[in-house]
Amino acid sequence: MQHTIEHGPSFAWLKVALEPGEQLQAEAGAMVRQNTHVEMTTHLNAGSNAGFFGKLFAIFIAIVRKFIGGETMFVNRFSAPSRGEVVLAPSLSGHIIHHPLSGGKKLFVQTGSYLASTGDVGMKIRFGGLRSILGGEGLVLLECAGTGDLWINSYGGVIPIAVNGNFIVDTGHIVAFEGALDFKVKSVGGLKSFLFSGEGLVCQFNGQGIVYVQSRNLGALVSWLSPMLPG
Amino acid sequence: MHFEIKYNPAHSLAIAHLAPGESVRAEATAMVSMSRSLEVETNTGPKGGGGFFKKLKRGVLGGESFFQNVYRATSVPAHVSLAPKLCGSMVVHEMAGEDLMIQGSSYVAAPDSVLIDTQFQGFKGFFSGESLFFLKATGRGPVLLNAFGAIETIELDGEMIVDTGHLVAFTSGIEYEIKKAGAGWIQSFLSGEGLVLKLRGRGKLYIQSRNPNEFGKAVGALLPARQG
Repeated sequence: MQHTIEHGPSFAWLKVALEPGEQLQAEAGAMVRQNTHVEMTTHLNAGSNAGFFGKLFAIFIAIVRKFIGGETMFVNRFSAPSRGEVVLAPSLSGHIIHHPLSGGKKLFVQTGSYLASTGDVGMKIRFGGLRSILGGEGLVLLECAGTGDLWINSYGGVIPIAVNGNFIVDTGHIVAFEGALDFKVKSVGGLKSFLFSGEGLVCQFNGQGIVYVQSRNLGALVSWLSPMLPG
Repeated sequence: MHFEIKYNPAHSLAIAHLAPGESVRAEATAMVSMSRSLEVETNTGPKGGGGFFKKLKRGVLGGESFFQNVYRATSVPAHVSLAPKLCGSMVVHEMAGEDLMIQGSSYVAAPDSVLIDTQFQGFKGFFSGESLFFLKATGRGPVLLNAFGAIETIELDGEMIVDTGHLVAFTSGIEYEIKKAGAGWIQSFLSGEGLVLKLRGRGKLYIQSRNPNEFGKAVGALLPARQG
């Protein structure tokens, strides 16, 4: 599948040329434009091989996400009987990164950072612990594995950091990280600093692998905007 | 009169250079700075732009500010700089006989030789929460457009489907049809695409790389509920 990423780093979009038989899956609402013969179907993002309980769990997560803010957990699948083009864009300003998966390697993607994937890239929803749900800027992750292409988007610029040992990233700045890394969500200091430091939650990584870090934090934009609202 | 665009793609600024006697009409909130010699007049559009209600329609439905400012150079050359509300690029479309359909919030400025009129796109837009209102520009001269994000110019010859939130403008040689993104209403809603435009024909098409509604929803969902 041929693809190009244009207009980065501020306003990147992804152009994909679909050949017959190929399928592209994308986050709901990401389609910018497409050829008229490209077909689109909508699915619950429960993973292609999820059973009844898997789907039920996905619906439950979709409802939870609805309340804590985030994606709908619906995805669109595009295919074309003859060569066709689809253009996809995320909702925030920022860049797009291509991360191909193969050989049992995994990538954990912050749910808001998933843009698109191909082939048999499967997804499971993972919570980064109870605190991440209560903390507001929760770390809800998509565990992506399989063989194919994966595209993720950042809010602001994106820096791939090769971690070797220990590394700490604010949860709001995490785009994605490789499955070889151990991770633990924690507050920077104790409970007091969790409530008052403004840093909220961080993710502590251990091991060897890449962490994609974004230069902006949606939670920070929201907390800057909120006091400006009338009422 | 000519427009000079600076600081594309992220934080564009347009400067309208005016010879003595020339004028430019811009959205009331767009002015950043201006020559002291300019005469400014606030009105509801150019003469011949329709009656009060037609202009009200443009303001209320077109996503464009009802009042426009006219900046007129007196006896000396002058300039006014203009900026849109959101981050992104600007582009100048030269009107040369063909009309231009402009997504309501994408219009920034034009000289009096270009007439801006509203085309009402029906009620579908209200249900989907997407603005489907177009301004129709007729006449000759430059039109200044803004995009949320980067802007892509396409020379269309054939068909294409474009998300309503990503469309900036297209010339009148292109026919359009508003349709559901998916097979049925429920699928179209869940797909997050809602309504799309099916475009057909030959002409110029401008597309923006970000969707203001999607951005609003992403950020808005996290904001505290509005009181009252």
